[in-house]
Amino acid sequence: MLIPVRCFTCGAVIGDKWEEFKKRVEQGEDPEKVLDDLGIKRYCCRRMLLSHIDLLPQVIKFTRPL
Amino acid sequence: MKTRILEKDSKTIKLLIEDTSLAFVNAIRRLAISDVPTLAIDEVAFLDNTSVLYDEIIAHRLGLIPLTTDLEHYKSSEECEGADPITNPECYVRLFLDVEAKEDGTVIYSGDLKSEDPAVKPVYDNIPIVVLAKGQKLTFEAYARLGRGKEHIKWSPVTVSAHKYVPVLKINFEKCDLCGKCVKACPKDVLEIKNDKLIIKNIFSCTLCRACEEVCEPQAIKVSWAEDSFILTIESTGALPPEKIVYEAAKILWKKADEMEKLIEELSEGE
Repeated sequence: MLIPVRCFTCGAVIGDKWEEFKKRVEQGEDPEKVLDDLGIKRYCCRRMLLSHIDLLPQVIKFTRPL
Repeated sequence: MKTRILEKDSKTIKLLIEDTSLAFVNAIRRLAISDVPTLAIDEVAFLDNTSVLYDEIIAHRLGLIPLTTDLEHYKSSEECEGADPITNPECYVRLFLDVEAKEDGTVIYSGDLKSEDPAVKPVYDNIPIVVLAKGQKLTFEAYARLGRGKEHIKWSPVTVSAHKYVPVLKINFEKCDLCGKCVKACPKDVLEIKNDKLIIKNIFSCTLCRACEEVCEPQAIKVSWAEDSFILTIESTGALPPEKIVYEAAKILWKKADEMEKLIEELSEGE
């Protein structure tokens, strides 16, 4: 849905790094290099960004009537 | 006891503590995780939420956002038990948000939160809280208070708090035939051959894996560790500087030791 605020395993904040990660990977950069640049060292935190699928922007249209 | 800083930046600190016991270093490690207080959002009053996420999910996300913590001006969680968030500014900091999305896909960030205390604000400004469609509204008041990691992990100031032994590599230069196998086998790049001699480049990055010991045919390398020295690594969430976390943990340990001493004195007087 939406990027979690913290890593599920170690609790490091990763939510703030999502938009830069997404932007740079979409521009064709290697995710491994982007993660290294962002200073995400442990594999628990790296999988948070690597495996995340941002669904919320698609879900927002299917809300209850305002 | 001697302490030396091996590495330090804004988020992490690595300390070499010599001439001490494992129990002492472990006490500091555990206190850093569960007893050093920080500020975190604890109560949220939603006035309006027409976003796709439930109130509870947004409240949970808000709680996990680290806040810059001012330990001097707020009362501890024990003193504030049962206090009303609205009427006790010495216990609670009020943060609020009032937005209505003007277009689809408006992202609300942690930096959009407005705080009544300028010293208390989210450490990171670009954590997404929710995404809104056009016309959706989100209005809430959030109250942050001091708490401890043992109550909920959102109050823990650390993400990593770990200690390890100081490695000791013994090289028998008479047996060593400079084959270089150990240099290649080491996953942490600790060893190096320089001027026809095997030297240790950085002993502190050794993980005691013993790969060098295994590949050494003449059995010239022996991996062991020092009994009274430890490396303590602390990584902060950003709520407190890492050196402050160690300092606060030591202060809490001191206080607990004093309480223990007093208790023992009282007990021995009763006899």
